[in-house]
Parts: sequence; C-alpha cells; structure tokens
Amino acid sequence: MRAFSTLLAPLLALLAVAHAKSSTGDSVLVVLEPKLKKEDFSIFFGNLEKQGYNLTFRAPKDESPKVVEDGVTAFSHVILFAPDTKNLAPQSLVDLLTTKTNLLITQSTKQTPIFSLASEFSLILPPPGTPLVSHFPARDTPATVIPIDVPAHPLLTPNIPPVWFSGVPHALSNNPLLLPILHAPAESFAADTDTDSGAEAVVESADKGGEGLWAGSSLGVVTGFQTRGNARVAWVGGVDMFKDEYFKKEVSKGVKSGNEQFTRDIAAWTFQENNALRIDWTNHHLVNETTPRERYTIKEVLEFEAHISKYNPARSSWEPYSGLTDLQLDFTMLDPHIRTSLRPVVNQPGKYSATFRAPDRHGVFKFVIDYKRKGWTFLHSSTIVPVIPPRHDGYPRFLSAAWPYYAGAISTSIGFLFFCALWLAGDNREPKKGKGVKAE
Amino acid sequence: MGRFSFLLLPLLAAAAHASHLTVQSPRFSVLSSTGEQVRAEPLSLSRRPEKAVELGPSDTLKLTFTVAEKETDKGVQPHQTFLRFYDEATGEEGIQPVKISASGKAKFELNMARPPSSLPPSGEAPLKVSLLLGSFTYEPAKFDLFDLRVPESLPPPQHPDESTFHPLPEIQHTFRPEEKSPMMWISMTFLWIVLSPWLVLLFLWGQVSPSVPHLFSANTLPFTLSLILLELLIMWYWVELQLGDILLYGSGASVLAAITGKQALAAAAQRRIKGVSFQNTHQ
Repeated sequence: MRAFSTLLAPLLALLAVAHAKSSTGDSVLVVLEPKLKKEDFSIFFGNLEKQGYNLTFRAPKDESPKVVEDGVTAFSHVILFAPDTKNLAPQSLVDLLTTKTNLLITQSTKQTPIFSLASEFSLILPPPGTPLVSHFPARDTPATVIPIDVPAHPLLTPNIPPVWFSGVPHALSNNPLLLPILHAPAESFAADTDTDSGAEAVVESADKGGEGLWAGSSLGVVTGFQTRGNARVAWVGGVDMFKDEYFKKEVSKGVKSGNEQFTRDIAAWTFQENNALRIDWTNHHLVNETTPRERYTIKEVLEFEAHISKYNPARSSWEPYSGLTDLQLDFTMLDPHIRTSLRPVVNQPGKYSATFRAPDRHGVFKFVIDYKRKGWTFLHSSTIVPVIPPRHDGYPRFLSAAWPYYAGAISTSIGFLFFCALWLAGDNREPKKGKGVKAE
Repeated sequence: MGRFSFLLLPLLAAAAHASHLTVQSPRFSVLSSTGEQVRAEPLSLSRRPEKAVELGPSDTLKLTFTVAEKETDKGVQPHQTFLRFYDEATGEEGIQPVKISASGKAKFELNMARPPSSLPPSGEAPLKVSLLLGSFTYEPAKFDLFDLRVPESLPPPQHPDESTFHPLPEIQHTFRPEEKSPMMWISMTFLWIVLSPWLVLLFLWGQVSPSVPHLFSANTLPFTLSLILLELLIMWYWVELQLGDILLYGSGASVLAAITGKQALAAAAQRRIKGVSFQNTHQ
C-alpha cells in the first residue's frame, strides 16, 4: 500500500504538469549561448515540453529564427540563457516586453548589456566580477555554490526544499513593479576574493561602491518584474540553477534539492500560467434595470458590474473567479468623486458589482477599475458615461411652497371663464325711463 | 565520480582543517558624547546580556574582540567578519563589516551622531546584533551578541506609486443638502389670502344677483364649453403633457373656440341691434 501511494503522488503530479499551459501562448524561444550545452538543462527543458510548450533553440549570434518577423512577434516567451554574451541588443528585449512577450533572464558576473539592462528594471547590481559567496552552512561545495532556504511565498508551491544557487545577487529598489521571489541568505555577500587574505578587500568594498557592501537578506537572487502592460520578466542571478546537476544534488542527507520545483514555479509565473486575470466585460445601468443607458441624471442610483476570470493552467481555460476581495471602482471626472469597493456577488461566480448614487455634479464621468497587486495581472478598465442635470420636468414639482401661486394662476383662468360666460350670456340692461326721455 | 571533481580541492581543505573559530574576550562599551563611559561589559558567547544596550542620539558603541582558532588559540583573520543588525518586527536588516587585523584583533565603533548607512531603519523593537564569521579554511560560526536599542529612525522611503498597489481609502460624495420648504401652515395661510377675493366676489354676486338668461342658449354654450376645453388642456399640459402634443391639441381647440366664439359674438350683436331698434320703435 505504501509503495502504491508513493507511486501515486508523482504520477498525479506528472499528470498535473502535463496539462499546465500558458494563457498567452505556447511558443518559447530559448536563446542558449554556445558555451552552454542543451543537454545540461535536459530536465528543465524536458519538463517544459511535457507541459505543452514548443521550444525553439538558437544561439545569440544566429540569424534565425527571428524574434520579431515582419513586425509580428513570433514567440510568446523568451528564455535567455546567455549570461556572458556581449552582443545582445537590450533595446530589442524591451521592445519585446511592449508586445507582451514574457522573458526569463539569467545573469552572470560579467559586464554585459544585460548587466546594464537590469538597472532599467530598478535592480542594482554589484560591481562586475563579484559573485554571491556564502560560508554558511558548512558544506563541501565551493563558497559560490550556495544552498538557499525557500520560505513560503504566494507564487511558490509550499515546502520546497532548499535550492542550490550560484551567481550574482542584486539589490532591490522600492519600485512596486518588482516582486521579490527569493532573497539571498542573511550570511551571504558579494565578493571577488577567494582566500581569507581577501578580508581587507571585503571591508574596503563597503566604503567603495555607492551602495556599500552587497550583503545580507535584503539582496534578491530571483526577482520578478511585471510591466504596466502585463508582460512578466524573471531575473535570475545565475544560469546554474537550471542545470541538471543542481537538480540532482542533495542539500542534506537523502534530501534532493528543490531546484526542479522552484524553477518550474518561476517558469509558471513568468509564462503567465499563474495569477493571470482578465476582465471579461463590464456593464453599467440604473439599479432597477439591466440595459445600459446613454446618459444618466445626477443623483440617480447606478449599478456597475464587472466579470473577471482567472486562468486555470490545469484546464487551460479562463474560469470566472470571485476571489478578489479588495477590488475598487472609481467614478471620476478629473478626480475620483466616488470610490467604492466592488464586491463579489454571491452565487454568481466571477461577477463583482457596486451600487452608488451619482454625484450631484454633472459632467462626463468615467467608471475606472485600476487594480494593481504584486504578482497578479494588472486590471484596467475605463468606461465613459455622461451625467446630465435634470430636465425641466425632472425637478421636484407641485411644492407646498408654491400653492399660493398655483391658486393665483388658476383663479385667473377661472375668472376669465366666468367673465366670458357672463358677458355673452347676460342681457343689456335698459337705461331708466327718465334718462331716455331726457336724451330726446 | 566526475561530478564531484570540482569539489575536490575544498573537500580536501575542509578535511584537513576541520577546525573551528571562536571569539576571545569580546567586550563592548558605551560612551557618551563627552567621552564618559556609560556602560562597559564583557560579552558571553552563549548568552545575551539581560538588558539591551541602549544608545542615545550622540552615544558611541565600541566593540572589541579577537577571533582565534578554537583548538590552538592562535589569532586568525577570517574572510568574513560581519555584524548583522536585524529588526525582528519589521524584517529590516543591516550588515556591517568589521575591520580585523591579521592577528585576529577586531575593533568596531558605532557613533550614533554619524550612523553608518548599513544601520537599518529602526522602530520600537530592539535590533538583534549577531556576529558572522566565515572563512575558506575554517568552519563558519555565528554568535548572537546582544540586543541594541537605538533612537527611532525615519521609515524607509516609499515609492510614490506604492500606495496604488494597496486598497485606497474610500471616497464618499457629500451631496448638497436638500432644499427645504417653508412650513405647511405658512403655505396654507397665504393660499387662503390669495383665494379670499373669490369669497368677496361670491358674496357680492349673491347681493347683486346678475341675470344670465342666455347662458345655456345654443349660441353661447359651445363657446363656453370650448373655453373650458382650452383651460383643461392647459392644466393637462402643466401636469403631464409634452410640448408637441399640447401644440397639436391646442391648435385644434383654438380653432374650435374661434368658430364658436364668432357665433356667440354674432348672436350677442344681434341681440343688441334688436334691443336698440326695439327701443327706438317703442319710444
């Protein structure tokens, strides 16, 4: 029974892996520099292909396959395992991001264009030639090959064993578009010396660089970045993390490293499998109706609804998702006049609605959803709707204060009626006899 | 195995030097801005001091120790001698390297008047200070030294867009207050004041008793009725009708009123002529 259950779990995991696919496409371009051999990464690439991705390999200097062909991007994702190549055009990578192509970029200690590209993403790198070094824990690998504990993180599967890492750290700025995934261990630091006599150089480097000493757990080792156009980039400090030998290396007696699961999780987030949301459609109407109107009047009660889905990688489909608890709606005209929370509607998966009264200012308003949370797709939606003041008969009428005026006007009309009727109906009275005699 | 070949050299080194580092005679002292010693104690490697070390805004903390090999008591200069300041409440961390001589003597000074940039932003909780010793030839060692309380610092600066990544405060619109009407009895009073002339008229009519012999004659009744129809149309327009409709109905009713009115006036004129001629013939 025990043997059966130990077989069952990896089998189920394999099935789950086999069906996980990206929400934006399956074509992946792997740019592999000639120094690195494809066979060294066979487990990582094999896992990706088993999931359903189509991998195309090319060296940085190759002419084909082109990433952008005739103005159309040919690939949905790009993996850049070319940390030492000097002639990559970083601007082309940035252009790819504007077309929603996701990137997985690995770095190295050499000064390459990727080195300077990282600073565009608010990552501050140590001087070239200073890899991450850690003497803790005591182990039999060189100081540059470091086991890092993986704490719980919303993007990663829980309880991943420590991962092996070798590469450069980066310091994180406070840009909210950055998403730290793995921090360096607290005892690690970036140094270019490899004997104990380099101790003085280490102390001096603290005063040298503008950032001081690159050390401690505030450094990141794997960081994600999501552009405002929802393209995702993963910056990994070293390409060795993806190698088969690191996958198979043991972190402690009998415990395999977590590199395989960790790199799968990074790829899952970067290739838009996880945490991918989209707004399907939005609607606005008066609270008792269902069809939208062309314009609304001030102080009417409006209802706005949004339908949001999340991508389910296991089923490769977008499914309605009611799990967003802090979605907010702005009703703005230059500045937000009203900000309420869009609450999920019970029994209607994926539907969020908010009801509010239109302000008593008239003008052209917008229903704005601007939802930004770290690690999730940014949701933006903007619907323009005019709000007009009431028509001439939309104001309150027949007020009690106006009764005297109503009475006066109606009295005038009735008086006119009486006068006409009496004048036409009456007879001319004859003058008195005496007066008639006098006139003669 | 070929896989482990690159590990061979440090493996041998580690096997040869499975020796440990220790810290000898660690001491700290807190000096005030005038140089007067506020507190000076030796530190124990196994236990932190009971009371946290307090530093005022102008105090100086001096820390001295010697790093030595445990087995031979020889002073060594390890590759990594770092002091780690860690705030458990906020997770902020600062690493400060300590200058250590080739014989293993280390001295560290922290002047709060000019704090190093590696000191993390501090809040209420004390900073935990620990010593990290790392070396290529010795086993690494980590010692918790003491807790440190420093004056509170400003929080780390936030990116201007950071607030949009969290729920923003809700905004309600304050509507203009509804217009208030004056009280009902004021309206009623003035209503009766406006209607009072009717009472006077009705009373006077009662006194005068005007005669209306031709009120329901065939010539004048249609006109009276069409006038009433016009008035009713105007009332309907006031309540509910729209402009296009009222113009349509009103034009029809006006034509009707004009025709019947002409007839009524002709009849009245006939009566007047007849009356005058009667008068004249009966003089």
